[in-house]
Amino acid sequence: MVRALLLSFATVFSLTALAQEPTLIRLGRGFAAEEQLWLMSARPDLTPNQGKKYRLNQVLFQANPERFQAFLAGELDGGTAPGLAVIAARAQGADMKIVASICLEAAGKQWFTTQYLVKDDGPVKSAKDLKGGVIGVVGIRTATDLWARAGLLNAGLVPDRDTKVFPMGFPAMGEAVRSGKIQAGTFVEPFYSAEMAKGGLRKLFTAVDAVGYDHELLDIFFSEKFLKANPDAVRAFLADYVAATRYYLANTEQAKRDLAKAGFVRTPVDIYVRNSDWKRDANGRVDVESLKKLSAFMLDKLQWLDKPVNVEQMVDQGYLPR
Amino acid sequence: MSRLRPLLLILVLMAAWELAARSGLWSPLVLPSLERIGRELVLFLSRPEGWMQAWVSLYRAFGGFAAAALVGALLGMLMGRSALVGRMLDPLFSGTYAVPKLALFPVFIFIFGLGSLSKVALIFLECLYPMVIITSQGARAVDPVLIWSAQNMGASRAATLRRVLLPATMPYVFAALRVALPVALIVVIITEMISSVDGLGYVVIYSLASLRTDRMLAIVVVIAALGLALDRALVAARDRLVYWEKLDTYFA
Repeated sequence: MVRALLLSFATVFSLTALAQEPTLIRLGRGFAAEEQLWLMSARPDLTPNQGKKYRLNQVLFQANPERFQAFLAGELDGGTAPGLAVIAARAQGADMKIVASICLEAAGKQWFTTQYLVKDDGPVKSAKDLKGGVIGVVGIRTATDLWARAGLLNAGLVPDRDTKVFPMGFPAMGEAVRSGKIQAGTFVEPFYSAEMAKGGLRKLFTAVDAVGYDHELLDIFFSEKFLKANPDAVRAFLADYVAATRYYLANTEQAKRDLAKAGFVRTPVDIYVRNSDWKRDANGRVDVESLKKLSAFMLDKLQWLDKPVNVEQMVDQGYLPR
Repeated sequence: MSRLRPLLLILVLMAAWELAARSGLWSPLVLPSLERIGRELVLFLSRPEGWMQAWVSLYRAFGGFAAAALVGALLGMLMGRSALVGRMLDPLFSGTYAVPKLALFPVFIFIFGLGSLSKVALIFLECLYPMVIITSQGARAVDPVLIWSAQNMGASRAATLRRVLLPATMPYVFAALRVALPVALIVVIITEMISSVDGLGYVVIYSLASLRTDRMLAIVVVIAALGLALDRALVAARDRLVYWEKLDTYFA
């Protein structure tokens, strides 16, 4: 009898404890340019709501398709992704909404923007000279693919017909350009700084040159279902995210050292802290207009979308702190 | 009826898939219905570009496979019949069999370029191992009584090789070919998924990147059908060439 009573008490107690556990947010993350988000796990002291109003579990993915598959399979509540990937997923009917910006491709000496580099002493002087050549991108239908195609279209070239757009990893890009395997390659930090230090490469165009305007690079998304079921947890999470972003912007070097120490970055820390950085909005606000332009470009020029996407409906900034 | 029995399991699996797809438990973007996959399959087969992509993958796979078959059978025979060659090469092949050769693909790209050659070279390497190892086992397992008999009847070395050793090793060579052929198909698809602008592997990764699981699965069906057809063709060729030892398969 006593044992039965104790067992009932223990069950009720653990169920109550479980009910009081803050909502777990399972977030699929990438391996580049998401510093302020990683900081939330590396420096939980910067996020006062974490552990109280939500719990955060960041899961690393190497590429968008796998992250989206995990999300669609219900293994993630949200994640990070290029805005254009969310646009493409929405076009297929995926239940996802962008709630905050992580970083942008922006012109200006103070920001890093993705670079397309060619051999310094090679024959490619302008994008037009890429006719008959190969341009390296990091993956099919990625942002790097979009910019490469935009750069070719600007030069009057037809991607795939006039110039091959070839997928290859960032680490191989520098040698591939130098050895003439490809005529132009895509470079982001930390590969950009490392390859420029070696010499022999020069800029052909940037991501911003290619599309012609500053635009969203990476965003945070959630499923609408999760947003509706857990509005308070998402608000608390985004409040902490904005706090982490502000800390990161104000203390970039220290934040980078903390990230390196926590194992989020494998680049040698002295190089990592010197690398230039993408533009980040201190309030996590999304540049919706740039996403609209990207969406129109994907539909009209690249035929990447079967139908138009309503970008206004795709972005919900109502969960960000006012 | 007995010939239809293997189809029964496939039908049951298809029914289970359809039930799961229609249950609403999973997003159709992850688990599309058979109807959607079928529609994509018809679309793929009705377009010349689809056949072109299949052809690109097949000629890459065949290129590497044929070269590996030729070199592998020759090396395997040598290793099996010559103790010296066996002692020299066996540690190399045994020691590196388990190495995932796919890890060498970036190196192959730098040596052989971005096009087909790097893929064909990797397929060659992957297929070479089963060819060499199984053929050498076969060459070693030839009944010595057969060889002594041929020699006693005055057969020359060339005649012994042509009339005794080769026919006795052929079942092993075909067994090796049957192991190597799907390896060739798998490697061509994977390498095209990693770094290519054409071929079935490229279509697979393109479909995945576009969240078109239905299209990706349609290509998987095409790859499976190609694999099955090629294996059947190989078994048919084996039964004609090694007519004294028919293969007992469930498809016969």
